[in-house]
Amino acid sequence: MAKFIMSLIANGDKFEFAADDTDTLLDVIRNQMVLTGTKRGCTTGSCGVCTVNNSKGESILSCLTLAREWDGEEITTIEGLEADGALDAIQQAFVNFGAVQCGFCTPGVIMSAKALLNKYPEPTEEQINEGMAGVLCRCTGHIKVKDAIRNDFRLRADMLVAQQSGSADVIEVANETGFKYPGEK
Amino acid sequence: MVAVESQHSLWLKHILQCSKAKQDSALLLPEYRFHKPKTLDECLAVLGECGDRGQLIAGGTDVVFNMRLRLFQPEHVISVRTLPELQTIEELSDGSLRIGAACRLEDLSTSALVQKNYPAFKQSIDAVASTHIRNLGTLGGNICLQTRCWYTNNSEEWRKGREGCFKTDCEQCHVIQTAQRCHAINNADTPVALTALDAVLTLAKVGSTRDVPISEFYNCDGEDFCVLETGEMVTAVTLPPTSKRSIFLKYTPRKGMDFSLGAISASGDVDGDQVSNLKIVLGSVSSSPIILEEPVQLLQREGLSDAVIGKAVKLVRGELGELTNLYGRAGYKKQIARSLLQRAVTQLREL
Repeated sequence: MAKFIMSLIANGDKFEFAADDTDTLLDVIRNQMVLTGTKRGCTTGSCGVCTVNNSKGESILSCLTLAREWDGEEITTIEGLEADGALDAIQQAFVNFGAVQCGFCTPGVIMSAKALLNKYPEPTEEQINEGMAGVLCRCTGHIKVKDAIRNDFRLRADMLVAQQSGSADVIEVANETGFKYPGEK
Repeated sequence: MVAVESQHSLWLKHILQCSKAKQDSALLLPEYRFHKPKTLDECLAVLGECGDRGQLIAGGTDVVFNMRLRLFQPEHVISVRTLPELQTIEELSDGSLRIGAACRLEDLSTSALVQKNYPAFKQSIDAVASTHIRNLGTLGGNICLQTRCWYTNNSEEWRKGREGCFKTDCEQCHVIQTAQRCHAINNADTPVALTALDAVLTLAKVGSTRDVPISEFYNCDGEDFCVLETGEMVTAVTLPPTSKRSIFLKYTPRKGMDFSLGAISASGDVDGDQVSNLKIVLGSVSSSPIILEEPVQLLQREGLSDAVIGKAVKLVRGELGELTNLYGRAGYKKQIARSLLQRAVTQLREL
């Protein structure tokens, strides 16, 4: 089968590669662009592990989209969230709340959470349930994930304050300014 | 020497078969050629040329899934996701709303034009699967959603454990063993609301277009579930202007992701306890949406009091036809249909 040259803009970088007609977006992200943070799960749209964000910051399932349909478009994968070695607030929130166990679903869960927060910066309980309905985590459970999402905007505010006060380590300051596990004194 | 060679070729054949089986179980996609036409005319030409061997794809959430299960084995896949002609949501001069078939469900859900006059339609869109699926899936795709059953919605490997069915070129149905047709269920959500709102579909093929009311679009046959001809595609959905109240309800085990066990949509002009122009449509209980007749006549004649609704609910059984034990026992589904009717009419009255 003939290969076709196509391009994708992932996390701000332009990638050009040869793809088959039958390659899905997930195949080229993992094999051609070697951004292996995005995982391959059920490949039928039930688990949400392969979630990436499109140019509007909405969550999409890369296992159900054909690569050549998305030729030239922009996507964000889990690798694109951190900036200059510092974790994004939602990633830090996942760390602080222990919303990760085996970690296989985490890229998909975080990208879904990111898309949810792009749409609703301070989501309500119902919006969280609605936005995270398409992703499954089999070991951490969804309670800690929801805790992390609920507290994302608090952490984001703390990090902004720390940044403005010229602190050397934004995350450290954010952790000191009252960002704690629920129930912790 | 000859014997050795034939043994060797047998061995090679065996390896090839093993690797093919491995591919099947890994749910890889079948081989096909991909086309990405720039305009609608070009797309129709390609589709007309491919005929039965062509498959349209927009969001891909249903098509790719079915290709992985080898229910679709197209030789040509034609992308309509970015066709500009299919992306429009516009209000026509007579007040009706025309929606391009490749509009994403998410865009429709947030569109002010949809929210204003067609609440049931908006509710039905929000009921579809999850945010992820709605960010990809299109209206045309949901209307042409492949019918589902417990046998065909498994991988090809899994299906090999039994004989085939109507969908896989065998003259039998696993859902109802004695049936003469495929009893797969039409699980799409938006067609239920669209039927209650009297939507009209525009179908196009090379050199001709035709308008078909959505109530005539579906055949009560899981295998050949809609009237689309070879080389024909849905290009637009037109919703007539309306001031009717409307509502959509869906029953699922989980709140998100699941296909429904029953869906209902009702629309009508309600004035106190009286109702006129009432239309009630049941979905996900048969191979096509069912438009209820007797309960509707009763409700229009005797009003929307609780006692009459109670009487109407008892008439649902006669309208359902033969029910299958697919995704829940037939008796359970009758119960769901009755409950949904009771809830929908009560809520329509109190809107």
